[in-house]
Amino acid sequence: MATEQVTSSSSKNSSGPSRPAKGITTSSTAEYFAKNLQQVGFSSQTKAVLTTLKEAVDNALDACEEHGIVPEVFVTVEKVGPGSLKNSDQIRIRVEDNGPGIEPDDVPKVFGEYLASSKFGRGRCSRGQQGIGISAATTWAQLTSATGAKIQTKTARMRKAFSATVEVDIKHNRGVLKDKTSIDWEREHGTSVEFLIDGRVQLNGEAGLISYLNGTALVNPHLKLHYKLPELETQTVDRVTQSIPEVPEATEPHPHTMKLGEFIAHSHLFGRVKVKEWLKRGFSRVNEATLKDLTSSGIKSAMLEKSVDAASESDFKDLFMSMQNITLMAPSTKSVLSIGEDSLSKSIKRLGAVDFFAVVSRKPTICDFKPVQVEVAIARLEDRAIEADAPIQVLRFANRVPLQFDKSACAIVQAITSVNWRAYGIAQPRESLPQGPYILAVSIVSPFIKFKNASKETIDASDELVEEIRRALIQAGQKLSKHIRKEVKANELEEKLRHIEQFGPVLVEGLCRLTKASPERKKRAEEGLRKLLGRDAQATEEELLKAHDHLEAQMAREAALVALEDGVPVPVDADEVEAFLEEEYEESPPKKASQKQASQKKTSAASSKVSQKKKVSAKKKK
Amino acid sequence: MVSRGPSSGAGDIPQLSRELCERLLQDLERARRPILYATKCSLDNARYSPKVGYLTPGPKKVATELNVSSVKKMSRAIFMLEILLRNLETGQVNTKRELYYISKGYIKHESSLKPLDFGDQDESDSTIDFICELLECYREEVNCYANDRGGQTYSQHLVVEETMPDGEKAVIDLSKLGTSAFQPKNRPQSLKLSVKKKIDFCLIVESEGTANTLVANGFTKRHNCILIGAQGVPSNAVRGWCKLIQDQLAAPLYFFGDLDAYTLQNIYRTLKAGSAASLIRNSDYSAPDVRFLGVLPEDIKKYDLLDYPVKEKDAQEVRALKKAADALKNDPFFQDKRNKGLAQILRWLLEHKRRCEQQAFFTVDPRDPTMPEKIIVDKIKRGIYV
Repeated sequence: MATEQVTSSSSKNSSGPSRPAKGITTSSTAEYFAKNLQQVGFSSQTKAVLTTLKEAVDNALDACEEHGIVPEVFVTVEKVGPGSLKNSDQIRIRVEDNGPGIEPDDVPKVFGEYLASSKFGRGRCSRGQQGIGISAATTWAQLTSATGAKIQTKTARMRKAFSATVEVDIKHNRGVLKDKTSIDWEREHGTSVEFLIDGRVQLNGEAGLISYLNGTALVNPHLKLHYKLPELETQTVDRVTQSIPEVPEATEPHPHTMKLGEFIAHSHLFGRVKVKEWLKRGFSRVNEATLKDLTSSGIKSAMLEKSVDAASESDFKDLFMSMQNITLMAPSTKSVLSIGEDSLSKSIKRLGAVDFFAVVSRKPTICDFKPVQVEVAIARLEDRAIEADAPIQVLRFANRVPLQFDKSACAIVQAITSVNWRAYGIAQPRESLPQGPYILAVSIVSPFIKFKNASKETIDASDELVEEIRRALIQAGQKLSKHIRKEVKANELEEKLRHIEQFGPVLVEGLCRLTKASPERKKRAEEGLRKLLGRDAQATEEELLKAHDHLEAQMAREAALVALEDGVPVPVDADEVEAFLEEEYEESPPKKASQKQASQKKTSAASSKVSQKKKVSAKKKK
Repeated sequence: MVSRGPSSGAGDIPQLSRELCERLLQDLERARRPILYATKCSLDNARYSPKVGYLTPGPKKVATELNVSSVKKMSRAIFMLEILLRNLETGQVNTKRELYYISKGYIKHESSLKPLDFGDQDESDSTIDFICELLECYREEVNCYANDRGGQTYSQHLVVEETMPDGEKAVIDLSKLGTSAFQPKNRPQSLKLSVKKKIDFCLIVESEGTANTLVANGFTKRHNCILIGAQGVPSNAVRGWCKLIQDQLAAPLYFFGDLDAYTLQNIYRTLKAGSAASLIRNSDYSAPDVRFLGVLPEDIKKYDLLDYPVKEKDAQEVRALKKAADALKNDPFFQDKRNKGLAQILRWLLEHKRRCEQQAFFTVDPRDPTMPEKIIVDKIKRGIYV
């Protein structure tokens, strides 16, 4: 038997080389993605529904922001019937926005062509980056329901709306328009996109549609969202701010964030300019002093005077290597877009009834040579239906897009578990997520977020990034702990008061029965006990009032700070605010120290924001 | 402070309780903060004298002041005291568990008592213990007994006469019970012992199962003895029973158990000199004459016993060894010169970190089921004990 097997396998092998080799073919980008949709978020039926919705909403929001429109988005997800796949439903997903609309010529590119993007590699904090997502959704619809994306769009200068179905020509990576018509649309401008796909709807849980929509509302305070999901009534989430975040202009790449290939490719964008001009114009943090450093490190001045297109590969290599050894300023953080503590504070209240919350916006910083800003919001929900030992709800955001899968490998979750939440009064099993009725939202904004996969589900956990998130979490934890500590204290005191009321009479009754005391004695003893415990009670009550005062002072102080950030006149007496800002609570020394630090930080943050505003207004005057 | 000697009988408990309540009430009438003092039942308040033979309470007291935090504890104590005093009055006896359910019944029935509700039996047990510490009395003196546990006794020559609560007397001849055991009750005071033939020794075996095996193999047939199974840490019943045998029969008592820190400190020490938690009642619940027969460290070599190292990762073993080290420093029993031999065993255990089970005697000659008996008797004869 064994011999036979060997013979047969060897004959197979020997027959191999004798056959003519198959020709190597190239396939289109669309073909690659059509075969690998799982890589871009279509790995399961529930994920397919979520990813389709996500891509459509992302595009709507990006388009509105680009054109300075306050977004209003209508989402409808409904089950139409059974799907063609096993155990699936046919789902209709419709997303309509009041965005600028798309020129009819661009429609097939946007929805039917892979890697056709207005944002690719621009270094801006937009949600979409490569131009893959929405085309993948069209492909999924095409593969499962044999119909592409139905588009209806109108720009401000169009009289009638353009309507068509877009399909992906997979062979050639091209969008194809079908059923083109012009129709009346009462909307001045906007786009509606509708997909009919196979999938399954998951409403609840971390990977559910509700979580996605709530999360999107949280980090987009300027968004007005209407949504209708299967088995649920239509919901409307109002916007809490009218101001559209200013998407900062992209900055040029920093030489230290590049690889040699990218460096050379970058040079081709500049045509015939001198190398020194290319370096100065094409990169951030490169100036005359850098060029001097380059020459002193061995690069010949002639090389810098050369035209870029005349430089050889070895020239670029020398230049690149010398550049890596020169100390340069860290990249600019100007390109980072932030949500802001104020907007987050307002927005977090849209998640449901919240007892109290804390928000922290870290200053933009550099992690792994890329500008990044971390913002954290943590809130305790009034709804205690959640089991006490259930982990807190974590909402992760990258460039204001919720991340809902594969959380354990994510930098955000790693940072959360590394913080000792017990110190802030929140239960936490060892090296796990904390527990309780809390929502913890962490938003990372950066023009260059390092995702672990093309479907943008997990942020790569580099040490520097995890540490930056950790710091933001610690600050938020410290802020929140003030609320929790005071609440615990107030509860304790109230329990003591209750003790006096409950046990006093029972004690005297029992003593009188055992001693067979007369009613007069009983009365005297009751009065005595009341006096006795009354002294305790009085002291207790005083402490309780003090604790309440402290809590109110804290809240007034926060309100005052928010008002200061808004530039609105402070509603309370200015001296009082000063007093709040300088106030020290009578707490244990280490806590006191941390509180002091926090309040100092807050003060400095507030004052720096005020001074920034002053500077801006001064500039405007000029 | 209500003060009385530790063994001053149960008769004055109602009187003492009333005095205590009277004083509390008077303080309240005058709006003065009452303070109650209870004997501190812990090792740092334990005294040991070989002449007395058991651990006695030192001068330390725990003061409980009536305030917002302690009002719950005091209210519960007065509530439970009322039930206990009524039991004393009527002669009713209850177990701790029964008292837990009786009080639960009252509390559930009467809404004004609701705040007193006990979450679990531990809470009602600790209330009873608090009352005993305040009155410096035994739990048994307020007619509260734990469930019977341990103390299964075998003998061919022992006769027990029990005076029942109604005064009637019952006579139990242990030789008539076959291989069944006589189980002493929680009130050894009501028992009177007599012997048909002189008892040579009384052997208390740590494991109830091993005691039973020895009897099944004919131990009590071949020796004029009393054999008792302790069933782990001795209960009050076992401790009182051993004290009764010591006092009434004047026979030498030997304890046979494992060679480990837990057996020596928690089982043997409690049997011989009482415990720190029961400082008030050690006088009636300890048998100071009992000797440690083994397993001794020298037995391992002498009888070629199968010993083995202590598991360093086992939390319970580690705790027992740590406790042994503490005992050498702080326990007056092990510090006393008379108990030098026992302290030396603790040191040996700490140093060698090895242990040997009592059942190792069975494997000395596996073909001979009477081997443990032979070794035990040989040790008694040759005086190989501490």
